[in-house]
Amino acid sequence: MENKIPSYLLQPVNDQPEFQKAKRARLSFLDKTIMNTASAVKSIYVQAENASKENVIQRINPYVKLIVMIYSIFIISIVSHLEAQLIITIFIFSLFIIARLKIFRVYKKIFFLATIFGFIVVLPASLNIITPGKIIFNIITINKPLHFWIYTIPQNIGFTENGFKVVSLIFLRIFNSVSFAMLIVFTTSFPSFIKSFKILGVPDTFMMIISLAYKYIFILSRIIEETYFALKSRLSGNIKNSRIRELVSGRIFFIFKKSMLIYENTYYAMVSRGYQGKVLLHSRKKLSSIDFVALIIIVILGIWIIYL
Amino acid sequence: MHIPDGYLSPQTYIPLFGVFISAAAIAIKKVKNEVSARNIPYLGMAAAFSFIIMMFNLPVPGGTTGHAVGSAVIAIIFGPWAAMLAVSVALIIQALIFGDGGITAIGANCFNMAVFMPFTAYYIFKLFSKNTSGKSRVSFAAFISGYLSLVMAAILTAGELGIQPLIASTPDGKALYCPYDLSIAVPAMAIEHMLLFGIVEGIITAIIVNYFLKTEPTLIYAFRNRDKNK
Repeated sequence: MENKIPSYLLQPVNDQPEFQKAKRARLSFLDKTIMNTASAVKSIYVQAENASKENVIQRINPYVKLIVMIYSIFIISIVSHLEAQLIITIFIFSLFIIARLKIFRVYKKIFFLATIFGFIVVLPASLNIITPGKIIFNIITINKPLHFWIYTIPQNIGFTENGFKVVSLIFLRIFNSVSFAMLIVFTTSFPSFIKSFKILGVPDTFMMIISLAYKYIFILSRIIEETYFALKSRLSGNIKNSRIRELVSGRIFFIFKKSMLIYENTYYAMVSRGYQGKVLLHSRKKLSSIDFVALIIIVILGIWIIYL
Repeated sequence: MHIPDGYLSPQTYIPLFGVFISAAAIAIKKVKNEVSARNIPYLGMAAAFSFIIMMFNLPVPGGTTGHAVGSAVIAIIFGPWAAMLAVSVALIIQALIFGDGGITAIGANCFNMAVFMPFTAYYIFKLFSKNTSGKSRVSFAAFISGYLSLVMAAILTAGELGIQPLIASTPDGKALYCPYDLSIAVPAMAIEHMLLFGIVEGIITAIIVNYFLKTEPTLIYAFRNRDKNK
């Protein structure tokens, strides 16, 4: 019997999808992007959730919190005694307990940031190559000191007492700064915290840009997450790097167009509510007794810590 | 590139904060003139977009993935003044919500990545693209602008960190802030950015600018501005 099947159907399938021809499997870029966006969305949720709690610290006026934050971080940045920094650490921890934040979750992040920037990056400074002083733990001894260009490597290389003090001070300073900033940010609604910048003379326009950007980031992060999950569900096997770059730049362009659309819609929504190009944010709330108490405690503690 | 709290002394972070505030005030005026009443939602969008760009990971030669700082690509797409505001807003949100970069270092980080880097990138791009829209020249210009602006910003950051042992140490030589002097900070930052991060920034800048060029070149500020000046 004559074969009536069209010839093109009898040909062996040769045109496999592009992603099956490539040799290497590379989907980590998708996971990393999804992870980044998910962590951004999560941070925004966690911040909003904590700020909405009704505790003593959450009730303090955002203007007072901003002044307290700047004052305290300045004090932390100038205090150079380890004992004083340790007292600050304990004080901030007690404030976290009063604020009833999820301490484990927040401190996990604080430890992570302080370990990277305050320990791993700074640890080589505890060696006598960077911080000279009495060696308390010798690592290696070479025949003679080495000199090249502007660098000198001493005969004995080891950790010094001064070096450990430098690393401990920087670690505690970073730990305290990050934890105090997180305490303030996590106990204040972000839009009202941004509005409190007015007390520093920041123009309303700039504060409005920050508030809008914060909301856009939330919306755009969700869009990226959804589009990437959709992309991931359609991809299989190996994909060429050039194809990945094309895909990602396409996603970036899509996000840009989406951002433009959101911006246009926001602008028209603002115009329909009477916006003519000038921004005037609401006036500040009156200070209560709890605000004055908080301010006085922090100012006195700050001065005491400096002279400790 | 994000300097955390504790690395800079008040003698450094206070003046840098002042410089950033002055630059931001000029930028607000400039952008207001360019985009009139739309400037606030426009800049909000630009800031969110510059924040978002840092989230995209791309495979780069060498078998790894990387993400860009984004200042160069933002400067080419939005123009240097809008980029200054957009990137600084993104950096402020990063410092406050995500803990990336210190609160005391906001001025320094904004100066390095939102003032210095976008302007350097924009003018390097203008210099190398030489008024053409040819794909290969634009790609090359975008790569060079991303690469050089990041390397230069990294050296600037290293300079700020490296002067700390000179201006803030105890009498017995203990560093109170960043313990690495210029002889360590500058080579360390310059080498890692010249050999790795600069290349990643350059590639990502070139890829994104290329895609915009292919799809809708009118969206690119550097080209719009050039056509206006013709």
